[in-house]
Amino acid sequence: MLSCLNLSKKYGKILFNELNINLEKGEILAIIGPSGCGKTTLLRCICGLEELDSGKILLNGDDITKIPAEERGIGLLFQKPVLYPHLTVSGNLSLASFNNHDKALVEVGLPNFEDRDVDTLSGGEGQRVALARALLANPNVLLLDEPFSALDLDMSIKLINDVRALLKDRSCPAILVTHNIEEAKLFSDRMIDLSKI
Amino acid sequence: MNNTQKFFSILAVFIYSAITIIPIVFAIDRLILVSGFNPILWIQSLDQNYVSQNSITFTFVQAFFSTILTVLIGFPVAWVLGRYSWPFKAFLRSILTLPFVIPAIIAAMGFLTITGPYGLDVRTDESTWWWTLIFSHAWFNIALIIRFCEPVLSTLNPNFEEQLLLLPNGITFFSRLKNLWIPILTPSIAAASCMTFVFSFTSFALVKWITVRDKTLESTMAEVSSSAGIQGYMESSSDIVLGASFIQFLVLLASLWLMSFLQQRRQTKWQQASELFVQNKNAKGWFVLVPAIFFVQLPIISVILGSFRVRDVSENSISFKWSTEGWYEAFQGSYSFPPLSEALFNSLIYSFGTLIIALPLGYILASTIHQLEENNSNLSRILEIYTMLPFALSAAMIGLGVMLGIIKLNPSAAYDFRFLPVLAHVIITVPFVVRIILPALRSFDLSYDENAKVLGMSNFSRFFKIKLPLMKGSILVATVFTLAMSLGEFGASFIVARNSEWITLPLLIDSLRGKPMKDPLTVPSSNAVATVLMLITMILFLIVEKFRNTKDRGMF
Repeated sequence: MLSCLNLSKKYGKILFNELNINLEKGEILAIIGPSGCGKTTLLRCICGLEELDSGKILLNGDDITKIPAEERGIGLLFQKPVLYPHLTVSGNLSLASFNNHDKALVEVGLPNFEDRDVDTLSGGEGQRVALARALLANPNVLLLDEPFSALDLDMSIKLINDVRALLKDRSCPAILVTHNIEEAKLFSDRMIDLSKI
Repeated sequence: MNNTQKFFSILAVFIYSAITIIPIVFAIDRLILVSGFNPILWIQSLDQNYVSQNSITFTFVQAFFSTILTVLIGFPVAWVLGRYSWPFKAFLRSILTLPFVIPAIIAAMGFLTITGPYGLDVRTDESTWWWTLIFSHAWFNIALIIRFCEPVLSTLNPNFEEQLLLLPNGITFFSRLKNLWIPILTPSIAAASCMTFVFSFTSFALVKWITVRDKTLESTMAEVSSSAGIQGYMESSSDIVLGASFIQFLVLLASLWLMSFLQQRRQTKWQQASELFVQNKNAKGWFVLVPAIFFVQLPIISVILGSFRVRDVSENSISFKWSTEGWYEAFQGSYSFPPLSEALFNSLIYSFGTLIIALPLGYILASTIHQLEENNSNLSRILEIYTMLPFALSAAMIGLGVMLGIIKLNPSAAYDFRFLPVLAHVIITVPFVVRIILPALRSFDLSYDENAKVLGMSNFSRFFKIKLPLMKGSILVATVFTLAMSLGEFGASFIVARNSEWITLPLLIDSLRGKPMKDPLTVPSSNAVATVLMLITMILFLIVEKFRNTKDRGMF
């Protein structure tokens, strides 16, 4: 499904060198490691927001290394939900698709939220809307950049379980990066410690 | 609010009313006494009098085209400056936004030098000077577009664009334009356009010097002001002043309302990030920045070079030589004009006099508004609008207000009172001081003050040891802004002091440039004075830049 071959990147210091990752359809991988070890940069390279120093990324066998981010079909959930404040919840979902907003919101546990202003949402609700939007776009792979880290413990456990179930339902492969090993265990099928590679 | 604060607040409102609002009310009362109260007749008189014919149409049309051209030139500059990283970015931003603090009369001198016989010599037909005026307005206001749009672009959390790139409806440039850039930039562009329109609408020095025949409402008003408000003598002047100021008041009031509405929309919940996040380089951007720097610096350099370039008239030909004769003439003075040093002294006295009154007055008014916001929001809003009223008056109307108001109180004071321009400058600068201090007070962390209270510090001690040091940046910006505005003020000073013995630097420039052009030192000497004034305002501007907060999203 997704193959990352010999990925290397440095920002002053080497963040990752000759890194290989394979992700199968429906598999959820967690990449753990302390702050500053290059987890976020790795995700940004995979989705195309940053360029690799060297290495190849294959998606379903196609080389997407040089394809711009907007054409890769890879979704990303940021640490803080990025919701556009000039649009309602429904307006934000429209950026991914004009249809099935109600169904997507029910799936993430936010029925009847279509007309809500995004600045009235709590952190957890905002992250659920961002997730609904990411899933509406039908990504080939979903990347999650510590999206649960800003939430309180109860809320994050509930969201982790919900998101995992949703991804498994759709057989959508995903990569979560986090510094929280408990969160990684709960969410993923397997883990890679980036600081030990 | 304790009793001491109440006392100072009431005193500040009283002083503000006495020196700013009451003279204007007296002036309007005087003009109405001469003309009668009939706004329709006042407006009709504008087209019926030869001196003011077509001024309404001309004012609107030139302001409209000036605004369009300003956006067309300014927006690409704001875009490349805000979106990409540049070496010496702060310096680039400073030189590109410099025109806004350069007094309008200097801009006029710069463009006259470029287009006149000392430069390209293209001031031959009406289309030339029409476009010169429009370009000079664009030059003057380009900073507004940059100031309003560039911080929005450079401090926008980059995740907004990145997230959109990864969504189906953000794939193309046009979809990102529709879903991100237009919503986020429209209020800023509209607010900057609105201010540009206002400044072009009330433009005086540029219109006075660049146009040949046409006049704006402001320049018409200034021209007839000396005969306005006198019963039985050229009463049409009073009609013209009332008609012009009535239209200006309505337009400026509508613009202020629109500005306030747009400013609120600009304060949206778009997350900002540090400017350091914007790391992208774009070499193609130099194709925008280099011509923009050239455009911005050309009139400034022309003024400096023009002060040393003297026409050498011989029997058969006209040539130019490099000489300091213009400077000598400016410093020497003549029977008709005071020396540069005297005008400089007057200007400095007026600007410091303005500062001494306007800064504490503006600070106390802002502080009163801020404290009322917590207890009585309606009264706070009324006071805020009250302090903004001078924004809805043009400089010429303020000058006329001071003149006629003083005449009503004590006619001889109009000719004996040396500090008359200070009054006009205070009226003009107090609203700016309030606008600079008020946001700083609003963002002041109350816990600092509360902590000082529980440590047993008195009101006086808390103000000087806690509040003042923490707000020194805003206070310094307000100080420098007040000094710079007073030094470069032309419209009101033109009415109040042009026939006095206490003329200012802008008035001296105006007088020197008004000498017959056959005198080879007319242009160099006026440019020499303009250079001195320009250097002072540039130094003040650099001080402001050092203390300006990049996250203020284009406020002063």
